[in-house]
Amino acid sequence: MPRVYNWQIGREMEYPFEGARPRRQAGAVFDTNKCIACQTCTMACKTTWTSGKGQEYMFWNNVETKPWGSYPLAWDVRILDALGPQAWKGATYEGKTIFEAAPTGEKALGFLPEDLDYAYPNRGEDEIDTPMSPERFYLRLPHDAWFFYLARICNHCTYPACLASCPRTAIYKRPEDGIVLTDQQRCRGYRECVKNCPYKKVFYNHTTRIAEKCVLCYPAVEQGIQPRCMRTCIGKIRTFGYLNTPERAEADNPMDFLVHVRKVALPLLPQLGLEPNVYYIPPVHVGSRRFLEMLFGPGVDGAIRAYRRAMEGQDPELLGVLMLNVSTDRIIRRFKVTDGQAEGFDEKGQDVVRVPLKEPTMVRPFHDERVQAYRYNVT
Amino acid sequence: MSEQDETPGRFRLTRREFLAALPPAAAAAAALAVPEELLAFTVLQPVEPGLNPLKAYPNRGWEQVYRDLYTPDSTFHYLCAPNDTHGCLLRANVKNGVVVYADPSFGYGKATDLYGNKASARWDPRVCISGLAYVRRFYSNRRVKGAFVRKGFKEWADAGFPRDPATGRPPRQYVEGRGKEPFVKVGWDQAFALAARALIDVATAYSGEAGRRRLARQGYDPDMIAAIELAGTRTIKCRGGMPFIAPFRVGGLYRFSNMLALLDAHVRKVGPAEAKGGRGWDNYAWHTDLPPGHPMVSGQQTLDFDLYTAENSKLVTLWGKNWIATKMPDGHWLTEAKLHGAKVVTIAPEYQSSSSKAEEVIIIRPGTDAALALGLANVIVREKLYDAAFVKSGTDLPLLVRMDTLKLLRAKDVFAGHRAASLRNATKVFTPGDPLPQPAMQEGQYLPEPLREEWNDHVVWDTRTNSARPVNRDQVGRFFEDTLLDPALDGAFEVTLVDGKKVQARPVFDILRQYLVDTCNPDVISRVTGAPKAAIVNLARQIATNRRSTLFVVGMGPNHFFNADLKDRTILLVAALTNNIGHFGGTVGSYAGNYRLALMTGIGQYVAEDPFNIELDPDKPARVKAYWKGESAHFFDYDDRPLRVGNKQFTGKSHMPTPTKAALWANTNSILGNAKWAHNVIVNTLPKIEAIVVADWFWTATCEYADIVFGVDSWIERRLPDVYAAVTNPFLQSWPRSPLPRTFDTRDDLECWAGIAAKMAEVTGVRGFRDYWHFVHERKISTYINRVFAAGNTTKGYRFEALDASCREGTPFYLMTRTSPRVVGWEQTNESRPWYTRTGRLEFYRDEDEFIEYGENLPVWREPADGTHHEPNVIMARPHPAIRPRGPEAYGLDPNDQSTEVRQVRNVVRSPEELLKSEHPLKARGFSHILITPKYRHACHSTGASTDLDVIYWGPFGDFYRHDRRKPWVSEGYIDLNPAEARALGIEDGDYVWCDADPSDRPFVGHERRPEERRLFRWLVRARYYPSILPGTGRAWFHFYISTHGSVEGHETRQDGLAKNPRTNYQAAYRYGSHQSITRAWLRPTLLTDSLVRKETIGQVLGKGFALDVHGAVGAPKESYVKIERAEPGGETGRGRWDPAAKGFRPGYESRAMKRFLAGEFIRKRG
Repeated sequence: MPRVYNWQIGREMEYPFEGARPRRQAGAVFDTNKCIACQTCTMACKTTWTSGKGQEYMFWNNVETKPWGSYPLAWDVRILDALGPQAWKGATYEGKTIFEAAPTGEKALGFLPEDLDYAYPNRGEDEIDTPMSPERFYLRLPHDAWFFYLARICNHCTYPACLASCPRTAIYKRPEDGIVLTDQQRCRGYRECVKNCPYKKVFYNHTTRIAEKCVLCYPAVEQGIQPRCMRTCIGKIRTFGYLNTPERAEADNPMDFLVHVRKVALPLLPQLGLEPNVYYIPPVHVGSRRFLEMLFGPGVDGAIRAYRRAMEGQDPELLGVLMLNVSTDRIIRRFKVTDGQAEGFDEKGQDVVRVPLKEPTMVRPFHDERVQAYRYNVT
Repeated sequence: MSEQDETPGRFRLTRREFLAALPPAAAAAAALAVPEELLAFTVLQPVEPGLNPLKAYPNRGWEQVYRDLYTPDSTFHYLCAPNDTHGCLLRANVKNGVVVYADPSFGYGKATDLYGNKASARWDPRVCISGLAYVRRFYSNRRVKGAFVRKGFKEWADAGFPRDPATGRPPRQYVEGRGKEPFVKVGWDQAFALAARALIDVATAYSGEAGRRRLARQGYDPDMIAAIELAGTRTIKCRGGMPFIAPFRVGGLYRFSNMLALLDAHVRKVGPAEAKGGRGWDNYAWHTDLPPGHPMVSGQQTLDFDLYTAENSKLVTLWGKNWIATKMPDGHWLTEAKLHGAKVVTIAPEYQSSSSKAEEVIIIRPGTDAALALGLANVIVREKLYDAAFVKSGTDLPLLVRMDTLKLLRAKDVFAGHRAASLRNATKVFTPGDPLPQPAMQEGQYLPEPLREEWNDHVVWDTRTNSARPVNRDQVGRFFEDTLLDPALDGAFEVTLVDGKKVQARPVFDILRQYLVDTCNPDVISRVTGAPKAAIVNLARQIATNRRSTLFVVGMGPNHFFNADLKDRTILLVAALTNNIGHFGGTVGSYAGNYRLALMTGIGQYVAEDPFNIELDPDKPARVKAYWKGESAHFFDYDDRPLRVGNKQFTGKSHMPTPTKAALWANTNSILGNAKWAHNVIVNTLPKIEAIVVADWFWTATCEYADIVFGVDSWIERRLPDVYAAVTNPFLQSWPRSPLPRTFDTRDDLECWAGIAAKMAEVTGVRGFRDYWHFVHERKISTYINRVFAAGNTTKGYRFEALDASCREGTPFYLMTRTSPRVVGWEQTNESRPWYTRTGRLEFYRDEDEFIEYGENLPVWREPADGTHHEPNVIMARPHPAIRPRGPEAYGLDPNDQSTEVRQVRNVVRSPEELLKSEHPLKARGFSHILITPKYRHACHSTGASTDLDVIYWGPFGDFYRHDRRKPWVSEGYIDLNPAEARALGIEDGDYVWCDADPSDRPFVGHERRPEERRLFRWLVRARYYPSILPGTGRAWFHFYISTHGSVEGHETRQDGLAKNPRTNYQAAYRYGSHQSITRAWLRPTLLTDSLVRKETIGQVLGKGFALDVHGAVGAPKESYVKIERAEPGGETGRGRWDPAAKGFRPGYESRAMKRFLAGEFIRKRG
């Protein structure tokens, strides 16, 4: 089996195909500290892509509450359990990836959920890890009882397990943006992708009898517009853009800045070995560091420290990038933070958005001579 | 997807069925997405050898399918405006004539005002899950698709409205079919005629002496009958649901009510001087959104602020306010405030969604916010952490109280010859009857001269001169500082009155301090609220440290308890003690819903145009004369009764309702479909009402029980313009006109009111009925809108046409309030203007007779009225010289009678120890839980809660395929219970349970005599093991659609088992009963006074007693104490456990793998 380099686990690993990175890799950073679990992203996706027969149960985008929420049921618990306890040494993953742990004759370690596992997509919402009791009636940071929200889409992985396992080679990665697509003409519904995608973000349509997955709204992305789930994000948790590998990071690219420069955003379950391209700023309030490291890898401490610095007013640049989130529906390629404001530029270097870090306060004259009116706050 | 009529058979549809089942747009899209050859069985072709799909892929032409699916034919902007307090301009993406999906406009960041102020792009995007899901609602089979009349009602009308000769009641056979019999679709003209004739008949039947006799024979309270003043039109009740959403469309019903004066003139043959219009019901107070203590302290409706001011704050305290869940488009202002260094504290009976964004989380027993605030005040006062300068210059705390009468000392009683100061600070005294300028030109507060005389001036004890000194209403803020008085806050002083009598007087601060110190120390408050003592002490110190920069964001949670006014008075006290009122970063806001039409002060031009003197010249303002009268709908909800208990009428004259004989409701599922005690209203109250006319675009439970239903345009179809604003954001918006054709045979609400009026003109020959809607008939609504704009403080200078042009591009205007962010109290605090009170100060002491009598002259702690484990509604106090309420005996009541009716007026004092030992009277009968019904992110109001795509995410039970066929819909309501407690009750996660409140009056009075309706309306609901909730408390979300006669019939007779009315398509979210089965109407004496001074609802004029949506009844919809029993197992087959529990992934059912996951054991870190 070929060996490929996965920077997220700090080592080479086995993968069924020769490594090849796209010219550009589309990706996103989700700030869990800002996510409000409103599911607007979910509905944006749903009403655009999965409102047909056979798609009722499908949520290419969903938001789940950790630790109890999961869609489909226990997708994360089950793959982690199948893999068994594993270890990191520093920034290097010592355990097995799902490709390395593949059973004989399989491309990866996986499982196929049952029909009922896809019911109840919001099960677990707002549920804390341990039941409320008097000793938890006053919580201070970090919280002894906690949950947090995890928005999820297809990770458009660098080493996708769906792509690796398709017996028809019907799943591919676009060289121009790294978006992973299921060819709707070639797919025959074997469901190997459903089984082997550990994030369970490929879905079987029982009416058309083929597999479908998030397309990262490429028809929008091709026009420089953010995907539906990103541009409807009212929690303003999402940075969308193109990510470089660490050694080629550009400090004025918001994605690179968050992932490689400040290292405030981390991959989800990097130990599985897919090099996913959606990154998460971990929640600062969660009492269990172990839990966060299980989900986001060994960089959690550093990421939380970096985020806290911004909250303490010591990192206006990071503050600025986060204020730009979804303030425009255009894709931002470069940013600049100066004098209490943040600016975003598109592919061509055009200034597409400029925001103050703090919204101004306005005091209007009590008496408007010109129009003859008195202005009040108490009306 | 189709609506859930045809729940999809899993995996089984042919292509034709698949396409046939879709709405046209989706079908077209699906046809594109799924090329024909894919569906045929094809021989597998060999895979290209050597292909590396990471590198390249040969056949990418198919990608065009998704581009076609994504790309709309055209777009337009419309206003998404459910009853949820936001309102967003959205961009509709249209394909094949159908709106397929919506986008945020990304235009808010371009908003401007008249003076060149600009918003930033941080305002974008504005949208939410519900807004996006509504594409399903617009095309739903649950739309009201035309005009409908209930069969029995039509028969009554066709028979010429026969009535019982003695009582005037319609014969039973015409009424009793309500909710059970079919509706007949009729032409619009016929529907308007029926409504007009019915209203004329009701007005006629109940006018004059004959009408009075009939109402007496029907058994109405004599004070209610007197209140109609012999005008039958006063028995007609109009309610446009939340008119700030659409002041011209739904607000049109208030205009209609004013027009009814023409009907009265016609029926009773009286002139304009005697004619009386209809009555208009409240909104803000009806929803219990009004914080009733705010007018008690500040004299005006509500302190609130635009939420985006959060980033000016250092400490944001959320009191039962789940900000990120219920103010979703403004959620980012909170998380971004944190990025600016603000600390967030949540105070709630659960670890709620906002708690996951908080630094500190304080868990308290539901409804004990006032007790917590008193605990904070104790620490602040005891540790002297208060801002003495603000307390002395801005509050009534230094004013002297006579300890003999408990009244505030008046200067005229102390200083011989004292004459009330003539007021100059932003105030004008006027003689009632004098014409006042329209609101836009009101340059200060207007005080009626008699009130000014009655109040006189007040008195402080000056420590510099050691003497009593007068202080007048102008002397607030820096004007008080200018007096150089240094008033005592502590101590008792002997004051000699003008008549020579010596009385003891103490500053309000001093008597309040005594109560705080004696009764409210942190130990006691910790035991009352459940919050640990450290939480109380730390929070108090943090608030005191953050003067001018602490926000008190108070939500619906505490507002929905009977003691809500005390919660306001005590929280405002803490804020005032720490100078946290009226600053951009430090103030108090109440957010139990927040539509306040008061922000559109010119509205009188429209809702109160003189119907006898109609202005038809579009360039001239209207002449305003209010013939309609405001009334609290809570009396209707209270079975159309006033609060009369024992030997006392507790309802002030200014509040007195009239009998309700006809009703017109628009946009208002809440008035019936989601009313507290809804099932009692349905069973007991509705039969007394003779004609119910409802306009809506979606079939609600209110429609289920109506007589005439007008199907109106949805938001994507509106043909007539309107405007919109909310109080959480600074924007003024229009409803841009839609380019789309109507989907169904609908009309605009305005066309309905104008249509009924035109028929009245035909029947009566009175032309005014038609002229009153002249600009509706002419399609020139902008005439009315511009009149309103020109008369209003926040709109003058704007023209509707310009606003509309901007909103068509997705960009609103700023509302022209004094500041943005708008912070109520900014002028008072920063410019030393008086509040709208007698003293001009924030008032914490209430010396009106009612308050002294009820033991609430001081802000005290009263237990909740029903939702408590302890003796309900008792006052907690140790002996105190100023707490001397009248007990039940004074009202002729047994002091031990704790029945729900009596409880409302029971003024009994208990010491903390007695209180904490006491028990709810139902506890001994197995009742165990306080049940609360907060709002929820997936349907802040019932609009979202009735849309299928939205409710799939409504909690843990959403399932499009309804694997469990008992499920009433694709989702269903549930009660959250602490897992260990649920297990002790024998309830498993996901089980169905029975939930019952006080059987003496719930689900409805007399249920024991009506077993069939009891079966329909007793609450059967699922239980969820919910680890985040305080033990002893249950939680069920507000706003799901309730069971009706028709929904239960559907559930029991339909093959698919849906709780969907086979005749109307009404879809309930419960199999039986609802979250309203356990609520009832409660009336609170302190809210029904004729004496409280407050600003009128709109404008700067002061008055006293009832004011619509300002001083009046509110409900207590979170008050219930319940018993929960297992009904059915939760397993999908009706047996065994609910699947996720059975598989070991639920709290209390953890498999070994789940336990390791929770503990983070799947990863180790070495080195």
